Amino acid sequence: MIKYIVTRTIAMIPTFLLLTVFGFLLIELPPGDYVTSYIRAQAAQGNTSAADQEASMRAQYGLDQPIVVRYGLWLSRFVRGDFGDSFEFRRPATEIIGSRLGVTLTISICAFLISWGIGIPLGIYSATHQYSRTDNFLTTVTFVGLGIPDFLLGLLLLVTVWMLTGEVLTGMNSSAYASAPWSVGKVLDFLKHLWIPVTAVVITGTAWIMRVMRGNLLDQLGRPYVTALRARGLPERVVIYKHAVRNALHPLVMSLGQTLAWLISGFTIISLVLDLPTVQSIYLRAMLQQDVYLGGTILILIGVLILIGTLLADILLAWLDPRIRLY
Amino acid sequence: MNETLTLDAAAPIEAEGKITVLSVRQLMWMRFKRNRLAVIGAVMLTMFYLMALFAGFLAPYDPRTTHAEHPAAPPQLPRIVDQEGNFHWPPFVYATASKVDQKTFRRSYQPIGDTRYPLRFFAAAEPYRLFGLIPTDIHLFHVDEPAKVFLMGTDRNGRDMFSRVVYGAQVSLTVGLLGVTVSLIIGTLLGIVSGFLGGLFDNVTQRFIDILIVFPLIPLWLALATTIPPTWNSVQRFFAISLVLSLVTWGALARQVRGSVLALRETDYVQAARYANAGVWHIITRHLLPNTMSHVLVIATLAIPAMILGETALSFLGLGIQPPMTSWGLLLNEAQQTRVLLQQPWLLLPAVFVIVAIIAFNFIGDGIRDAADPFSK
Repeated sequence: MIKYIVTRTIAMIPTFLLLTVFGFLLIELPPGDYVTSYIRAQAAQGNTSAADQEASMRAQYGLDQPIVVRYGLWLSRFVRGDFGDSFEFRRPATEIIGSRLGVTLTISICAFLISWGIGIPLGIYSATHQYSRTDNFLTTVTFVGLGIPDFLLGLLLLVTVWMLTGEVLTGMNSSAYASAPWSVGKVLDFLKHLWIPVTAVVITGTAWIMRVMRGNLLDQLGRPYVTALRARGLPERVVIYKHAVRNALHPLVMSLGQTLAWLISGFTIISLVLDLPTVQSIYLRAMLQQDVYLGGTILILIGVLILIGTLLADILLAWLDPRIRLY
Repeated sequence: MNETLTLDAAAPIEAEGKITVLSVRQLMWMRFKRNRLAVIGAVMLTMFYLMALFAGFLAPYDPRTTHAEHPAAPPQLPRIVDQEGNFHWPPFVYATASKVDQKTFRRSYQPIGDTRYPLRFFAAAEPYRLFGLIPTDIHLFHVDEPAKVFLMGTDRNGRDMFSRVVYGAQVSLTVGLLGVTVSLIIGTLLGIVSGFLGGLFDNVTQRFIDILIVFPLIPLWLALATTIPPTWNSVQRFFAISLVLSLVTWGALARQVRGSVLALRETDYVQAARYANAGVWHIITRHLLPNTMSHVLVIATLAIPAMILGETALSFLGLGIQPPMTSWGLLLNEAQQTRVLLQQPWLLLPAVFVIVAIIAFNFIGDGIRDAADPFSK
């Protein structure tokens, strides 16, 4: 088992390097750089003198170096844990990401737990009662759930609440509590805002998990080993929960690998629509402004989380199914 | 349902008294037809694509025409019963005028007079080009001025939402197809080459696909969409967007193709072809490609809804399709602000089209997946 983990970890290093090249290129690809968009923004406000600072600003941010040199510098600092400063906020990228991590994780972990908690049991029920009325109903609901983009759901919920109560629940706190220290009132206010993004994400998430779980379990229930178990007179409960469900969970466990990255990259557009102070909304902003280090750090962070997530999922799977350790 | 179909299939056998051989294609079609949801999806999509094809004919107005007197008008369905309760045919509308409340500044529309303006079917109105080629001015329905027919209301500039949705279908429904075609080409090519050649090329490609497959779509799409030069016109942008959509999704296809190529490479008939001195190109095009196609098509169909969602999301954020072109996502962009939405909830109607299109594609994808392997169960 330990050997398995070590080999897997070492195999991650080239993938990581590939990821950084990929991430860096993505950041570099847009025409122009931060200075260009900064000057454009200044000129739009009537400040034409900004154009004179162009060369000195480039030198200050190191943007006048050739691309390979910039990649080398960036990577060497990256490995040492220095992720660069955000041009726009003039603060370290990590600090900005860190300040938004709390809200992001609160929403995503809530949504994750609820959608898995609901999705798996419903998927099992659907598969064990195939083509029953409940199953047909659930299948229709999942198709609709998968068809509606989550940001539209968020928007609909927002408008519905506004029509019913006259409150606009954008952001995570009402203006009264925005800069106030944490108190019982602020927590309640926070919860009042929290449920809208969570519900929107849960609906699409649950639909997906139900669908996968139902498909996998149906697949397993058709296998000969299930017939063999039934033939030996095992109670249906044991056949399903101890054997079939355990095998049907495999693909979902594999997808857990992606879930880790999803925690900070899912519901990007909801974040924007509902004006949530999350990592996703700052990522979108950084991408639009060509705030290279901030956007790049988040992109790489997502990639690293994917690598770690995949590793964890592999280990979990090896623990769940000893056959895999042989590979 | 199942019984009648089995009877149908058996019918020619009994009638002719001899055994009929069904081709694989016929078997697939039979299985596809058995999936009721897939058939419903296919019917819905056919209607959608016809709508896109005949957009100019279906839309009563040009999508860019601004009706200055009717900004933010609510949807107005043609009526068949007038204010006195009398029945009329063809359906008619009343001319309306807007009034702005001096206190709330909210605009409301009231009928002026009780003159009925009947819908004129196949009427001549604004000229357009059918299929972008044939100049004509016949529209499915129209009303005489000063009355207007806004089935789905207007936006704040007074543009007819129904016309815009119909024209938007042209972009929203093709961007996914175009994207899938591109990712089909990249995926099949790289999959076959990397499966057939193996070695270092295969290794590097596979590691790259490893990341690509699991990377969340939206952040990657956003990053790529920002690389499109802002100076490009809307047609260039349309192609750029479909390229962006496909660049992210070819990985799964390549993986699948590579898998089947690896398996096929060792089969007897490919070996036989090799010993018969067939060239690599011949083996790939004659033996490998046709055998991987059914899997590839399934994955491609299932990828289309994600692409439509991607276009909607990008345009919604203002990173996708740009005016004067219009797409469903771009139409929703106007519905982004909550305040606007509450006063003009009909701006959300394009979302219904997006949702129906995605569901229809999902239905069909499911049907094709079951049909692709007609010999299973």
